[in-house]
Amino acid sequence: MKITILNQNFTLHPYGALFWHEKSCLFISDVHLGKVSHFRKFGAAVPKQAVHRNYVMLDEVIQTFQPFEICFLGDLFHSSLNKEWLLFENWVAKTPAKITLITGNHDIIAPEKFEALHIELHEEILTEGFLLTHHPEEKEGHYNFCGHIHPAVKLKGFGRQHLKLPCFYKTDKQLILPAFGEFTGTYVLTPQPEDEVFVLADQQVIKV
Amino acid sequence: MTQKELFHIAQDWFQQQGWKPFPFQKETWKAFLAGKHGLLNAPTGSGKTYALWFPIVLNYIKQNPDYKNKHKKGLKAIWITPLRALSQEIKQSAERITEDLGTQMTVGIRTGDTSTKERAKQRTAMPDLLITTPESLQLLLSSKDYKKVFKSCSAIVVDEWHELLGTKRGVQMELGLSRLKTICKNLRIWGISATIGNLEQARQVLLGPISPELENSVMVRANLQKKITVKSIIPKTMETFPWRGHLGLHLLDEVVPIINNSKTTLLFTNTRSQCEIWFQKILEKYPEFAGEMAMHHGSLNKETRLWVEQAIRNESLKAVVCTSSLDLGVDFAPVETVIQIGGPKGVARFLQRAGRSGHRPGKESVIHFLPTHAMELIEASALQVAVKENAVEDRLPYLNSYDVLLQYLTTLAVSDGFYPEEIYPEIQQTFCYQGITEDQWQWLLNFLVMGSQSLSSYDEYKKVEVEADGKFKVNNRGVAMRHRFQIGTIVGDATISVRYQKGGYIGSIEEYFISKLTQGDVFTFAGRNLEFIRIKGMQAHVRNSNKKTNKVPSWMGGRLSFSAQMSELLRQELYKAAADELQGSELKSLQPIFDKQRQESIVPKPDEFLIETFKTRDGYHHIFYPFEGRAVHEAMSSLLSYRISLLSPITASLAFNDYGFEMLSDKPIDIQAILDNDLFTTDYLLADLQKSLNSNEMARRKFRDIAVISGMVFTGYPEKGVKMKHLQSSSQLLFDVFRDYEPDNLLFQQAFTETFEHQLEEGRLRLALERIAQQNIIWKNCEKPTPFSFPIITDRLREKLSSEKLADRIKRMTRMLTK
Repeated sequence: MKITILNQNFTLHPYGALFWHEKSCLFISDVHLGKVSHFRKFGAAVPKQAVHRNYVMLDEVIQTFQPFEICFLGDLFHSSLNKEWLLFENWVAKTPAKITLITGNHDIIAPEKFEALHIELHEEILTEGFLLTHHPEEKEGHYNFCGHIHPAVKLKGFGRQHLKLPCFYKTDKQLILPAFGEFTGTYVLTPQPEDEVFVLADQQVIKV
Repeated sequence: MTQKELFHIAQDWFQQQGWKPFPFQKETWKAFLAGKHGLLNAPTGSGKTYALWFPIVLNYIKQNPDYKNKHKKGLKAIWITPLRALSQEIKQSAERITEDLGTQMTVGIRTGDTSTKERAKQRTAMPDLLITTPESLQLLLSSKDYKKVFKSCSAIVVDEWHELLGTKRGVQMELGLSRLKTICKNLRIWGISATIGNLEQARQVLLGPISPELENSVMVRANLQKKITVKSIIPKTMETFPWRGHLGLHLLDEVVPIINNSKTTLLFTNTRSQCEIWFQKILEKYPEFAGEMAMHHGSLNKETRLWVEQAIRNESLKAVVCTSSLDLGVDFAPVETVIQIGGPKGVARFLQRAGRSGHRPGKESVIHFLPTHAMELIEASALQVAVKENAVEDRLPYLNSYDVLLQYLTTLAVSDGFYPEEIYPEIQQTFCYQGITEDQWQWLLNFLVMGSQSLSSYDEYKKVEVEADGKFKVNNRGVAMRHRFQIGTIVGDATISVRYQKGGYIGSIEEYFISKLTQGDVFTFAGRNLEFIRIKGMQAHVRNSNKKTNKVPSWMGGRLSFSAQMSELLRQELYKAAADELQGSELKSLQPIFDKQRQESIVPKPDEFLIETFKTRDGYHHIFYPFEGRAVHEAMSSLLSYRISLLSPITASLAFNDYGFEMLSDKPIDIQAILDNDLFTTDYLLADLQKSLNSNEMARRKFRDIAVISGMVFTGYPEKGVKMKHLQSSSQLLFDVFRDYEPDNLLFQQAFTETFEHQLEEGRLRLALERIAQQNIIWKNCEKPTPFSFPIITDRLREKLSSEKLADRIKRMTRMLTK
């Protein structure tokens, strides 16, 4: 699914990633790495094979777009440092793209740890009229890309049918990305008539 | 002291009260004093507490002849009650005996309501007789040196065992007993149960199917004949009988004379929201009842509930609108009349509620049945027969509940730690785990220690550790604390406590309801109109409001299904109608309904199976009427929709009640194809049923409870204000993760087995399909909804299922602009 914002071209990926063609930059939000390990560390036996799923998905989108830069829009790690950091280090080492992280509310791991992996940390980034943040924000004259919300919408149909699906949520000032991570919840938004909603359905992005 | 002398003490006491012991009481005393275990089958209000408190005290007297002067300290007996509301009552009857007989025995209560101070006091000196709940017993097992506490205990009584049997609390009880059998010397185990279909099995489950305790046990039956009269409240004119709502409020005026004609009346409703609404509506229409009427349900605060219970005893209330919270125990002599609003969904429950009136041996019980829709009058007619024949249901005990076992093992690991070779034989003796294999046992131990079946390098799973000598132990204080918070097997939605801004606690409501409110919204709760101010932590702040409102919190609760016996009776009543043999006032009053049904469709005869189809603005309705009870219909609809999906992909929502089931779809379903392809066949039944579970949500819902009970999902403790947000996840996500990565996980598998055995009742389904195979299928394509279909199509609680591609479905849908 391709869209245009401020005359720039973007692709919406069914995993919830956003690719900026002109800049070859891939935006990914709310991966919540380490969540499975965090649960296990506290005695909740979530299947540990699930740990690898996020990395497989990351590799897949990178393979698809071959981005020059990857920008995580916050909540890259779910909680404090655990052994999943080792997996992350390995992943960073084999990923050729430049990596940037806009810090989110869950990102409590010491900045030095990221910097040691040559990952740039920012609270927000302003570029080409775009404002990149974790929390949704508004700034006069800027278009905001953000995450944090884990947006979803409800659909209804004849025969009392209902569906709840994660989505990209687009207004005239803002695009909220869905959570990329497996094993993350969603928050249902009620769209205004002028807003655009792109749901993630299996392996497709569909505008509703 | 000889048995004769002991009996004298008891009989003297009865004489002083002006009573005479019943034969069943004496029989129980005798068996108990002879060292036997047993199950006492006696209804509430029959004097069952005296049947067992007495021999416990007499046994103490026997062993301590100097009992009047000297007091031997230490726990002597445990009384388990499923409802902590009953504990006061039980304590009072125990104290009457211990005091009147001049013993120095102490009686104490330990439940979730017991203060920390009181609990600490009990830790240093346990009362002689302890009244507690299954959960609190587990908590005792989770405390250090628990063995010392129980060492001197010589009796455990499980009251209302029929309420626990067939639930995971029952399994929890089985496990608790298996431990106590080892650590208490000379323990006698007794259960008390109301009449259920499988009393013999109830005894086996309590004592263990192959245990020496079972061999050395008795069954005592009270056999008290209680006269029960059922009176149906029949609307004067059928035409004005509303179909929607299912609340029965149109018959409100008929209820008032019944209330006025008796001292105290209990109005039983099936849900808490129905209870709130009835209370409010009666007061609105008959304000003169203000002050003389109260409400009682499980979400109200404890003070209110205790106040209501006391007020009933004082005869200061004319009427109480209540839910199953007043089903059990408490002795309410002043209650003269009981009104059941809506179908009770079970004969045993109906009898129990009827028994709340005339709650004294020998008195007649009167219960009025108020139907909430016309079809329930058929149910009323069937209930009349059921009461006459005492056709009560079975309570099906759980098998292989790994979730409860994991919780129990963690409990033992939290307290003193356990050695598997010591615990395994105990577990094998229980009913629930009689079939457990070595492999499964090893799997569970691995799961406790590694959170999986193998180790890997980066994994930091932490729960139970194995110490050098092979002891399984929890050494992490955080793990221990979280586990103690979470002991229990009743899983509900997260609840939020409702308080006034200045602090007064009103009760608790499910988070789901509160989350739909915005500031300034007014809703009815605890009989008051409350304005919602804000959510703070796990509390909702409110203030009183004078505004009128229709918002009433709803609580999701399990719905019960008709038993095989009850379904059979229901069909018989219906066949009478089909043959135009309308006997009994209930069926006769339904004449206009049957006439209307015949205009559009038919009233099926014994050899007919009815299918109706029609279209409304909701969609295409397809309704099937096996009249087999809700559970069988759930299974059949799941099976049928799976088989239909093999012909062509469908998306449907399913609704079921005790008469039939509906498949509602946005496209018509080809009924002729169903008939041509013989989709009701019993061939490949098991395999198809299993596959059908993948496309719907039943197993998912079961898994929710399993995930919480086994400790994989932490729910936090709202009342205690402990925040565990970073550890909360939805069990829905967890289900998907298991399906994708560990489908052979025993706990994941358990979700399917439970759906099968406890929800779908495969055996009954097979019989039902065999019956349908003998019947002529009558398919009626109707113009509009028929009277039979109304209660089903208006049901909002639905099962969803789809075998279509998501993208295809989305194309036919629109986004919801409002919530």
